[in-house]
This record gives sequence, C-alpha cells and structure tokens, in this order.
Amino acid sequence: MVKITALMVLKCRPEGSDPVILVNASDLSNFGFFQRPSVKEFIVFVGRTVAKRIPPGQRQSVQHEEYKVHSYNRDGLCALGFMDDHYPVRSAFSLLNQVLDEYQKNFGDSWKTVQDDNAQQWPYLSEALTKFQDPAEADKLLKIQRELDETKIILHKTIDSVLERGVKLDSLVEKSSDLSAASQMFYKQAKKTNQCCTIL
Amino acid sequence: MSVKSGNASTRDRTQEFLGIAERAKKSISLQNGPSSSGSKREEPPRSAVAMQSEFNRRASKIGFGIHQTSQKLSKLAKLAKRTSVFDDPTMEIQELTAVIKQDITALNSAVVDLHDTSSHSTTVVDDLKNRLMSATKDFKEVLTMRTENLKVHENRRQLFSSSASQNPSNPFVRQRPLAAKPPASNSAPAPLPWAKGQQSSSQLFPKNQVEGESQPLLQQQQSQQQQQLVPLQDSYMQSRAEALQNVESTIHELGTIFNQLATLVSQQGEIAIRIDENMEDTLSNVEGAQGALLKYLNSISSNRWLMIKIFFVLIFFLTIFLFFVA
Repeated sequence: MVKITALMVLKCRPEGSDPVILVNASDLSNFGFFQRPSVKEFIVFVGRTVAKRIPPGQRQSVQHEEYKVHSYNRDGLCALGFMDDHYPVRSAFSLLNQVLDEYQKNFGDSWKTVQDDNAQQWPYLSEALTKFQDPAEADKLLKIQRELDETKIILHKTIDSVLERGVKLDSLVEKSSDLSAASQMFYKQAKKTNQCCTIL
Repeated sequence: MSVKSGNASTRDRTQEFLGIAERAKKSISLQNGPSSSGSKREEPPRSAVAMQSEFNRRASKIGFGIHQTSQKLSKLAKLAKRTSVFDDPTMEIQELTAVIKQDITALNSAVVDLHDTSSHSTTVVDDLKNRLMSATKDFKEVLTMRTENLKVHENRRQLFSSSASQNPSNPFVRQRPLAAKPPASNSAPAPLPWAKGQQSSSQLFPKNQVEGESQPLLQQQQSQQQQQLVPLQDSYMQSRAEALQNVESTIHELGTIFNQLATLVSQQGEIAIRIDENMEDTLSNVEGAQGALLKYLNSISSNRWLMIKIFFVLIFFLTIFLFFVA
C-alpha cells in the first residue's frame, strides 16, 4: 500500500552548514508508541542530511532501507518527502512542487530569515499529508489516466450491451416478417371464403 | 514551330525541343545557304549554327538543373512538413537548404550570361528565367513554413517542459536530446537510470546511521549523487512525457470506441425501421382480413338471400310437379 510517512520543508543554505527545518509533518501510525520518538529523530536527521547534499534547482531521490526520500530544491527552499517504494515517483515530485508553491504563497519570503528549527506552524502540511496518501490526488495526470481507464471499461460494457441489443433486434425482425406473412395468408383466406360461395 | 517544352515538373522535353529547333534552323540556313551567292554568307550561318548549338546545349543544361532543383525542393518541402516535436531532421534540412541555395544562385548566373539575339533564344531564356523564379518562390515558401513549424514546436516544448526551463544549466541542455528520442524507446531507458541510481544510493545509505561515520561517507555520496542527479532529472521529464503520451493514446482509443458505437447504433436503427415496416404491413393485412370477415358475417347473418333461395326451390318443385302431373 502506498504511504507517505513524512513531509518536510527546509531552508537549505548554499554550502556547509546544516539546513534549517521550517515545517515538519509526519504520520507515524505504523510504529509502536515507544518507537515514535526515535523514528522522528531518524526522520529529522535523514532529512537534514539529504537536504544538505542536494544541489539547488534539482530533484533527487534517495533509497534508505524501505523508504524513498524524494527531495526537491528550489532556490534554497527544499521540500522533502519520505515515501515507501510503491509511491510513484512522478506524483511524489508533483506533490513536492505543490507543497513548495503553497508554502511560498503562505509565507512569502519570511523563511529566508529563519534560523531555528520548527519555528513556524503550518497546518496545511499535515492536511496535505493525509490528503495525498493516495497518489492520484497529487498527480493530475494519474487521476486523468485512472478516470480514462474507467471510462474505457464502461464503454466496453456499453458496446457489449449494444451488440446484445443488435441480436435481439435481429430476432425481432425475423418474428415480425413471419407475422406479416401469416397475416397476409389470413387476409387471402378471408377474401376467398367471402367471394367463393355466394350460392349455398 | 510548336512550343513543346512542356512542364519541367512532369517531363523535361527541353532537350528534344532544342534539338528539333536546332535541326529546323539548320535546314532553314542550309536552304538559305545554297541560294546565297557569296561564300561570305556561308560563314555566318555556320557560326550561327555553331552558336545555336552551343546556346542550345547551355540552355538544356540550365533547364535540367532547374528540374533537379525543383525535385530537391519538393523533397525539402516533404521533410519540413513531416517535422514533429520529437524528431526533426534539422541536419538534413539545413544541408538540403544550403545545396538548393547554391544551385539556385549558380543557375541564376548561368541564365544571366546566356543571352542571344534571335527571337527564339530570347523566348527560351525568358522561359528559363520564369522557371527559375518559380523555383525560388517555392523555396522561400518552404523556408517560411519551416520557420513557422519550428516556432510552433518551440512553444509546445516550452509548454510541456516549463519546469525544466527554470534550470538553464547543464541538466536542461541534456534534457533536449533525451526528449528528442523517439517515444518508442522511452520505456526501456527510463527504468535503467532510475535503477542504477537506486542501487548506488542504497549501498551508501545504510552506513549512514551513525553520525560519526557521516563525514567520510558524505563526500562519496555527494559524487555519486551528482552522477545520478542528471539522469534523474531526465527520467522525471521522460516519465512525464510518457504519461502524457499514454493519456493521449487512451483518449484516441476512446474516440475510436465512440465511433464504433455510433456505427453499431446506426445499423441497428436501420433494423428497427425494417421491423416497423413489417409491423405496418401486418396491421394492414389484418385490417383487410377483418373487413372481409365482417362482410362475410353480414352476408351470412342476413336472411334475404335465404328466402329468395327457398322461394326458387319451391317454384322449381312446383313447375316440375305441374309438368309431370298436367
């Protein structure tokens, strides 16, 4: 099953120093209650490392144990996503794109001056995390492809039923032609009995 | 003298024409030759003939060259019309354009310095000039069409790769030849760079748990990640392009399915009309039969004819009885 474990937005300084985490949202329902803090630490650390390594203006995906970390750096603002292997790559990156756009709409350029971790709260990120568990939501192309496939299936069924209708119409034609022949015979008979025996 | 030069696009009969003209001129000049008295007059006709044949040869060469150029031009026009977003034969088109330009300029200069006094040669020269002008016009049209096509493709490419245009550096330059690859081979190279990148990073990352070891490993990781950056960017674009093409082909299939549905339904509509006609025939038949039966019923149920019949039978017996008795 496809799953997003965490989404993060970081500010990546050009070289050297560690990036600053701006917003962090994670869904740790898979892990037991006592593992959660360590998993959170792990996510934070891995996220910082990956964001540090990514050059600006690039997309990158790193595989770590059973997770893939997708990162997208745009002008020093970096969005990270921890997803499992089944999540399609393209939707992951379009999701990161969307997150970055939203962030820039909401916070403008104020992120450039932030120095501490987790200084801002952003409920949109946790909503996005739950909403985009289904990759079709993030990627319009995937959604369109899915709808088109459904439409194609429906159309196939329609054509099958139309063919059945054709068969039934053929039988109807046969029956109606038989009926018209029988009625003609009936008419002839009636005429015959009427004209023939006027005497007795 | 019939002007049999014909169209250069279908068959080049310039040589025949020029040969015939030459022979005719020779015969006329030969006729004039013996009738003339002085030997001085033999010279100009012969040199005229020589000049004529020379002129004819050059004119025929120029006509042939124009014909070849127009053929090349038609090939160029086909190539220019054929260009699509993904594979345009830019190199061939440019070569062909350069060759055609050279030919046209050479032919132009040849026509300019080919001129003669007699009226026939001026007509020939005019004809050649006209053909050359039409060839240049076609050439210009093809070039404008080609630039328009290029503009349209540029727009489309920008529409589709709008995110790539934000990276004016190396990855973008690398993307274009990859995007220009034919779509059929998209699926094969796309998994490969991705799988390669996965393997290299998965080898490195498990070691990265402890902070102390992070420093020497990070440098290794950086170099290898840089290697996988460029193919990742390309594969991302490729996968987007592939998805778009899938969507397009699905929509196309849907269109064909709808068409088939429409044909099926129209055929069945015809069948339904036939059924309707059959039923109407049946109805009319049954109504006629019903009328006939009604008449029969009336005739049976009325007693008039019966009384007349009984009366006739009585009269018949009475007459027979009367005849036998009396």
